[in-house]
Amino acid sequence: MAPSLLHPPSQLSPGEALQLSQQAPTVLQNSPSTISSSPLAALLPSSETPDLWIKYENLLLSCLRTGDERAAHQCLERLVARFGNDNERVMALKGLVQEADAQNNGELEKILKEYDQILGDNNTNIPITKRRIALLRSMDRLPEAASSLVQLLGFSPTDAEAWSELADIYLVQGMYQQAIYAMEEVLVLAPNAWNVHARLGEMQYMAATAPGVASGTYEKSMAEAIKRFSRSIELCDDYLRGYYGLKLVTKKLLKDAGKPAKESEGEFSLPDSKTVERLNELATAKLSEIIRRSTAQERGWRGYDKLEVAAARELLVEEASAAAAIER
Amino acid sequence: MAQVPAQTIHRDPQLFGWILLPITLVMILTGILRHYASVLLQTAPKRLDQKTMREQRSLLHGINVRGNFHVLSRPSFIARREALTAAYESGAYLKDPERRGQPPANPMSDPSSMEGMMGMMKNQMAMIIPNTLIMSWINAFFSGYVIMKLPFPLTIKFKSMLQAGVATRDMDPRWMSSISWYFLCIFGLQSVFNFILGDNNAASQMAQQMGQMGPQTGQMFGPGVDPDKQFLGEVENLAVIEHYSVLDGVEQRLLEGINV
Repeated sequence: MAPSLLHPPSQLSPGEALQLSQQAPTVLQNSPSTISSSPLAALLPSSETPDLWIKYENLLLSCLRTGDERAAHQCLERLVARFGNDNERVMALKGLVQEADAQNNGELEKILKEYDQILGDNNTNIPITKRRIALLRSMDRLPEAASSLVQLLGFSPTDAEAWSELADIYLVQGMYQQAIYAMEEVLVLAPNAWNVHARLGEMQYMAATAPGVASGTYEKSMAEAIKRFSRSIELCDDYLRGYYGLKLVTKKLLKDAGKPAKESEGEFSLPDSKTVERLNELATAKLSEIIRRSTAQERGWRGYDKLEVAAARELLVEEASAAAAIER
Repeated sequence: MAQVPAQTIHRDPQLFGWILLPITLVMILTGILRHYASVLLQTAPKRLDQKTMREQRSLLHGINVRGNFHVLSRPSFIARREALTAAYESGAYLKDPERRGQPPANPMSDPSSMEGMMGMMKNQMAMIIPNTLIMSWINAFFSGYVIMKLPFPLTIKFKSMLQAGVATRDMDPRWMSSISWYFLCIFGLQSVFNFILGDNNAASQMAQQMGQMGPQTGQMFGPGVDPDKQFLGEVENLAVIEHYSVLDGVEQRLLEGINV
């Protein structure tokens, strides 16, 4: 799929982002630099559409990513000219551009102070709050970022973006249970997001395999990881990350088989070894099918991330060679 | 039976240029003016302070947990339920916990709800004033004669609609008076405004009237609703949930559902 300026550019690969930001001169040239808001202009067939502003915003983000700061400033100027300096979203974009322009930590500190000042005037400015948290995170002040996020979620607990950011921050700090809790909140807000299910499965797997885990927790986490991955596949057929995780978990379980599965009330228990084996087979078969078809560029199998496919292939090859070694 | 002879009324051909066109033009222009007036009169949506936002979103959070409890495992659902129930019952999320249990304030004295009413008043005014003016203008200048003949026959019932202001009993209902043309314009210019101003214009009064009659949305957090009662209601809703998880037996479903 070709990258489009109408979609947020957060998921793009560096190459695609570059491709987008190279369109900047054409886009900036083809659209008028100021949009008059007089009633007369509105009578004419309107040249202003919401799409235009989304385009500017996404172009701004891509340009910042690829270092084209001149175009980014131009986009920002147009957004400011249209929406004014007080618009919360424009304020956040302005902050973003300033952060990108900052040369050293001192300047970043100054921007942080500005954010604090803005939030002092209006403590419900969510875009700026989020910028501040992102800045704290990029300055490696994770505990502060986490506590600000918790405060944000205290008054706005229906913000899935903030919950998933919080989960990520906890995860890099190794606080698995907190991360899992935050991720579950994302699921409560978006119950059918298969990627979140798979991500939660990954977190459970990480929590289970972290050093120094009690055996009860281990089994519970592994059981839930299997279930989460299965659910993600159930929601999205041929979901590579889901199958990869399923394969990983079942492989691990089969390796340390022999531990009896304890039945505990109310919590998930591990499925019996036969089911685990069948799940493992299923995951293997599906993964190899995905690898084969996406490498052959078959119709309908082209959307996979190359790196993810490569990782899946590596996983399968590794297991095959291990099996060969055992036979020998 | 004798054929009723076709009525002919000699009209000044300039009627078209001096009455029909001006009325139509004036109607269109007032519509456009009304649109811009209401855009100008619009107040920006009031910014919520943090406490109000917390109150509203915490309630929404509870509703989300109630609606999507099946994605959670039993222990994590029960933990959430207990936390939410405790917070709701103690009124931790309320905007002003001291006013708990007191009857809701009179909406007339609450400044925030007054603002909403003012907005409604403004809209009403923007509708009523130009209509009154134009109608009296038409009445003063153009009343009392017919201005056009419709090119198709109509039954007698249309007389009162099309010949307002012309009290002639025997006249064919195809003849139309100026004040009736004005009423037709009020109801018929909707598509013209859509064409000129885009879909969400404030020019047509029909849309506004429909909006008033339609179901009142956004009443969940409106004035006069006691948030404490909403929270306590939500506690009950959460308490009656019998938990099941979508993860129960998902491996079996997967193994049965997918054939390689």
